[in-house]
Amino acid sequence: MANSPAVSNIDLFADEILVDPYPTYKALRDTAAVVHLPANDVYALTRYSAIRGALGDSSTFSSVKAIGFNPAVNEALQGTSLASDPPAHTPLRATLAANLTPRKLRSIEEQINGKAEALVRKLAASGSFEAIDELARAFPLEIVADLIGFTGQVKANMLRWGQAAMEVIGPMNPRTSESFPIAGELYGWCNQVTANDLAEGSVGRGIFDAQARGEIPAGSAGHIIHQYLGGGIDTTIASIGNIVALFGRHPDQFERVRKDPSLVRAAFNEVLRYYAPIHAWGRRVSRTVEIDGATVPEGAHIAILFGAGNRDERHYENPDVFDVTRDPTDHLSFGYGPHGCAGQGLARLEGHAVIAALAKHVRSFKIANAEKKPSNITQCIDKLQVCDVVAA
Amino acid sequence: MSSPREAQTLDGWGPRIEVDRTRCEGHGLCARTAPELLHLDQIGELVINGRELGGEALDKARAAVRACPVAALRLSEA
Repeated sequence: MANSPAVSNIDLFADEILVDPYPTYKALRDTAAVVHLPANDVYALTRYSAIRGALGDSSTFSSVKAIGFNPAVNEALQGTSLASDPPAHTPLRATLAANLTPRKLRSIEEQINGKAEALVRKLAASGSFEAIDELARAFPLEIVADLIGFTGQVKANMLRWGQAAMEVIGPMNPRTSESFPIAGELYGWCNQVTANDLAEGSVGRGIFDAQARGEIPAGSAGHIIHQYLGGGIDTTIASIGNIVALFGRHPDQFERVRKDPSLVRAAFNEVLRYYAPIHAWGRRVSRTVEIDGATVPEGAHIAILFGAGNRDERHYENPDVFDVTRDPTDHLSFGYGPHGCAGQGLARLEGHAVIAALAKHVRSFKIANAEKKPSNITQCIDKLQVCDVVAA
Repeated sequence: MSSPREAQTLDGWGPRIEVDRTRCEGHGLCARTAPELLHLDQIGELVINGRELGGEALDKARAAVRACPVAALRLSEA
């Protein structure tokens, strides 16, 4: 006879939890693999194996009208690959991912490495800098703008559009309602953008060319651009900020990567494991399902807590230790399975480029305390002063 | 091995790594995990090296399947 899930009265999207969710993640994980949170009307998945199992089983854990934590955003996302299940999901995903696969990105890998080096060398030479604006934001904004072919005013809007697109995934709290008009600007722009608005030779222009040739359905080019912008900016900014923060806090680990650049990939995996860029993501169970002995009713809304799974002591030894030699390839920060992050190839190129550039051009540095504002979905440091930089 | 069908007959009774081509995006994490069992060719397409998966190789194959971030691989025990 199965049991009702454990209950916790926390609000997953309360300010004090969002600025530092890890103590809450641990308390929930210690409680059970699935915990009912009446305040948010969700069942939270807290342990590694439950999360990975759910992500790999899209027929039970559906994405339809389920990704976000308010009805309006789920309505707006209908028909996108993000909010579809196989088989409808399969061709949408293929189109979205086609220009982001590692083989497609090979041609720009050198360019990305070169840009990271130039930027990091310049910052290192200056002796001190603000890591979020000058590196974590500047770098992916430039890469994504070049990739999609954005210019002028649009480029200036990318940061606020990208932030808002993630924020509105949250429940209908003030942060979400303030972000809806901004997310709407992005949506509106994507609905009317044409090939001529995007730089010649860019990936974005290529998507419109594919649409003109009938390879993808009419109107879908704008949706794809929307997902590149919504998914590709805020999360990458978070992970690059976290690289600097974690190396700053753990100079011994930075020293290891500096001495052995073959650790770059492993270090990025560990940064992503240690601080998941995304707090919570939704699913809906299509049937009554038993999770670790507790019964979750059909139709229940699920909140997947990637960061809780990434620190699960049942899966990772000493999970609260930041160790660049751990190489946790199976971390949950890109999700997993059919909906695994479509931009993870690009994210890896960017993360590896930044770590390699830091290892090459910086000998040592110090950081001040990181400032972090509450944010519904993206877990991103907002300000991080770097000082006493010794260039290599 | 001259053809895929022949390969299938040769090790038809042993476990095999199978790839779902509609899902594989060439992230290459499997090839990094078990380079002796899989590799990306020159254009970045995944190639499964025809090898018997006994003992240590079978453990490696399981690890490679686990490493796929988009669940495009599976181990067929048939």
